[in-house]
Amino acid sequence: MPQRAMLILLILLSLSLSAPVQAESAKQLIRQAIDNYRGITSYSEATMTIHRPDWERVMSMQAWTEGLDKSLVRITAPKKDKNGGTLLIADKMWSYAPKINRVIKIPASMSNQSWMGSDFSNNDIARADDIIDNYTHRIIDSRLQDRVKIFTIESVPHENAPVVWGKEIVTVTEDHVFLRHEFYDQDNILIKTLTADEIKLIDGKRISLRQRMQKNGRDNEWTEFYTTLIKFNIKHDKNTFTLANLRNPG
Amino acid sequence: MNTTLNFAWRNIWRHPRRTILTMLAIAFGAALLVFSIGLQLGQYDLMIKGSISIYQGLLQVQKKGYLDEPKIRNDIKDIQNLARTIRDKTGIKSITARANGFALVSSEQRSYGTLITGVEPEYEKLVSSIPGTIKEGRYLLSDDSHEVIIGKSLANNLRIKTGDELTLMGSGRDGSIAATILPVSGIYDSGSKELDRNLIQIPIKTFQEVFSMGNAGHALIFYHDEIKKEHFFRQQLQQLIADNNQLLTLSWDQLQPGIKQAIELDYSSGWFMYLVLVAIITLSILNTFLMSVLERSREFGIMLALGYKPFNIAKLVMLEALILTFFALTLGTLAGLAINVYFAVYGLTFEGMEEIAQMYNMSATLHPQITFESILIGPLVIFIFTILSALYPAMKIRHLQPVEAMRKI
Amino acid sequence: MRSLPLITSLAWRNLWRNKRRTMVILFAMVLGVWAMIVTAAFMRGMAIQMLDDTVNNLTGHIQIHHKNYLDDPVIENSFFGNDTALLNTLKLPDIIHWSSRIRVPAVISSERETRGVVLLAIEPEAEANISFLKNAITEGQYFSSNDENGIIIGKKLAQNLETRLGKRVVVMSQNTKNEIADSGYRISGIYDTSGEGMETDFIFITKRAAEQLLDSTGLSSEIAVITRSLDTVLSVQKNLAAKNPELDIQDWSSLQPYTKLVVEMYSDFQYVWHLIVFLAMSFGIINTLLMTIYERTREFGLFQALGLKPGFILVQVWTEALFMLTIALFIGNFVSWLTVMTTGDGIDVSAFSQGMELAQMSNIIPFVILFEDLLLANIIVIALGLLTSLYPAWKASQLVPADAITRI
Repeated sequence: MPQRAMLILLILLSLSLSAPVQAESAKQLIRQAIDNYRGITSYSEATMTIHRPDWERVMSMQAWTEGLDKSLVRITAPKKDKNGGTLLIADKMWSYAPKINRVIKIPASMSNQSWMGSDFSNNDIARADDIIDNYTHRIIDSRLQDRVKIFTIESVPHENAPVVWGKEIVTVTEDHVFLRHEFYDQDNILIKTLTADEIKLIDGKRISLRQRMQKNGRDNEWTEFYTTLIKFNIKHDKNTFTLANLRNPG
Repeated sequence: MNTTLNFAWRNIWRHPRRTILTMLAIAFGAALLVFSIGLQLGQYDLMIKGSISIYQGLLQVQKKGYLDEPKIRNDIKDIQNLARTIRDKTGIKSITARANGFALVSSEQRSYGTLITGVEPEYEKLVSSIPGTIKEGRYLLSDDSHEVIIGKSLANNLRIKTGDELTLMGSGRDGSIAATILPVSGIYDSGSKELDRNLIQIPIKTFQEVFSMGNAGHALIFYHDEIKKEHFFRQQLQQLIADNNQLLTLSWDQLQPGIKQAIELDYSSGWFMYLVLVAIITLSILNTFLMSVLERSREFGIMLALGYKPFNIAKLVMLEALILTFFALTLGTLAGLAINVYFAVYGLTFEGMEEIAQMYNMSATLHPQITFESILIGPLVIFIFTILSALYPAMKIRHLQPVEAMRKI
Repeated sequence: MRSLPLITSLAWRNLWRNKRRTMVILFAMVLGVWAMIVTAAFMRGMAIQMLDDTVNNLTGHIQIHHKNYLDDPVIENSFFGNDTALLNTLKLPDIIHWSSRIRVPAVISSERETRGVVLLAIEPEAEANISFLKNAITEGQYFSSNDENGIIIGKKLAQNLETRLGKRVVVMSQNTKNEIADSGYRISGIYDTSGEGMETDFIFITKRAAEQLLDSTGLSSEIAVITRSLDTVLSVQKNLAAKNPELDIQDWSSLQPYTKLVVEMYSDFQYVWHLIVFLAMSFGIINTLLMTIYERTREFGLFQALGLKPGFILVQVWTEALFMLTIALFIGNFVSWLTVMTTGDGIDVSAFSQGMELAQMSNIIPFVILFEDLLLANIIVIALGLLTSLYPAWKASQLVPADAITRI
């Protein structure tokens, strides 16, 4: 999610800031940007609130990430779901259910099912790295807000890209703070929006602490992530992104 | 009146062979219709029963809106108690509770998304035919045992057999992860690949525990053999759930609309054929009635000359037709009834029916339906047509001129 | 016989002595003949439609699969559809069309919905000769070549997915490397068939597009074969099965046993129906003939007194019956033909569409008059008709002249 935005921005900025570049070098630049981004690691703790008209559920979780390819999410509360989690490597996803001590690979046919019962689909959580190949990006707006430059990027999927959206519009600050991600269908109707706020400076990086995914037109249904702790450039243990780790915490 | 009756009776038997042939025609038509309609309706019964006894039941109680949006939260609270209460109050045992969810089932080799249903095994057996189609292993033992049964196609796809373990993972009612591992205690083969691939069953209490349902479920299934009494049962159910305005009862044709239409289509086309037959028979005997009037022109002429009113002659002729028809219909109806009763007891099988029946776990023999409606409707239609055809010659009498009439030979 | 012209002219004139009576019985007989032919045509139409639907709806006359495919229809259970040895066995004179396909489970998604479906990757030209798709396209176009990258889905599926022609959908399936493969495709065509179940279950792309998606070059899930006629199906199937023992080769009747049963049941029913209709008519025929004889008792008595043999009278009456039957058949056949002509494609039973769906039949049932059915109806009427009219004819010939003449 936010990683995507950052990557897009990186690519576009690198393209726009450099002198007129041949197509070859643009690709090279993109490769470099990806490789560069690959190195970014993080550890965070967050709460996820699923809100519906008649109920609400709050889960706490820890997350380890490395670049765009790898992430491990582990649930710490409530007790019922403690130690359950999801491991992502490239585009494969596994889920661990502590109750039965089993890891299950989530088949692609479930990729549009909701992740942990939230408004995010498995797909939303998993697919970050295909944005380069599958879309055409362009900056459609840039303005100044509170002395910070804000870019609005329109990403249109390629003809045969495995993307259902008509287009996605991402709003990002120049220092990679993700603000907003809108998903449009192919008739240009807004389907769902991911908004972010509470921007804080942490570890030298500005990030938004709160993100909410909301389906358009359903004001009383949303899912919200609130990051309570985040650290960057953590050196992850070699075994962090393994099935064994998914199964056995610490 | 008595004399007229006497007169009419004797007139009928003036030409015994003709009368008998006419009566045979009518009786034949009546018997045929009684038998065919009985058979048709019996067949429909079989079709409906065959369909609803597999899984859907005759009636279901669900939360409002569940049929269109089967979300796990659209549940019925305290469902087993409700089922029990209804069983006690109606005295009918074939009522069972179910809870439904969606889950990812995995064996060691494969994963599939399927529908998973929590059932009350003891009562599920009385409502659905699936428990009876277990081909390997056995059905579930109790409503809280830890086991699962799956369909043959799914077992094949997952490459598992009885005794193997199945991992289930889905989303509970409260959004939490619902997960469990259960041994496969039986594999069923319902004959419908659709069902086999998509439906697995576990005991209801196990389901409730895994999916955080508490004591809730999603549907109450009601089955009864006497399909005709559906409305009565439905009313009964409505009363028993009346204090919960979130619940409603659904009948089988709301759950499976295609069947009713298929039946209507068949019934309509059946009637097309019956009417054609009745028309042919009516035309056949029209000649008889006409003949019997025209050949008595002289006689009628004399009667008119003697002061008999034309209307009374017409009445006489109608009465003859009436008596003849009445006897013939009675004969035919009784014959048809007898055939129906015979087959109702011994059953009727067509060639090829056995294979179809096996496929769908239905009984292979047809039993004609015997009700007032099924027995009388055919003869009634014949009666109307016959009387109408007798009217034509009767009308002609009104225009009879005595002198001319007497001249006829 | 010398007297043939006499018999025939007498018979003809006798027929029309009592116009009303003759008309009434003729009406009954015409109705009977019409009923026989038209209902037979309708049932035949139903049975043929069902068979057609089965064959057209991708079944074909014969299908070739990997041995394990029918139990587990996944990409792993594919065979080499471009194997020259196999292709050579298909070069039989009785095989007029065949088409190779990939047929695997897949998932299709739009912006709003996801559905499980069956993905069919076809060779457009070959497939056009075999299945319904080309003629069922209601929006957009059929594939013009194997190189196209669009997708064709059913109308109902498009509705369920809340998408339309021209929009992109994403299809996901398992490839030959056991990985998930997915791609976006623009909906280039929408098809509408009478089986809604088909429309929601089957999505079509070209075989080449599937090769790119699934990495399945050279492989096929199934080959569907059409033979010259229904009669040759079994022999072709045996031939192919013998030459390709490692593959599973079956004909439509074992792939779809239900259809076969229904077709057979209809054939059986026809005989019964014809007999019933005739029986209904026969009462009228006998009665009417008896009545005419009764009326003409004196006349017959006179004939005999004048020296005509009883045999002559029998033939006389019989000929009258024959004329009646012939006229009735003539008119009956004609009216039946008219009925079939004026109903165009057939009877539209879409008011009962959900019921038809259940029986896997389309909504328009054509009238199909097969020569053999027509012959059957006509033969039954003539044969039984002559048989039943034998009794009155015989009775007429038994009249004793003295009694007959004195009868009033």
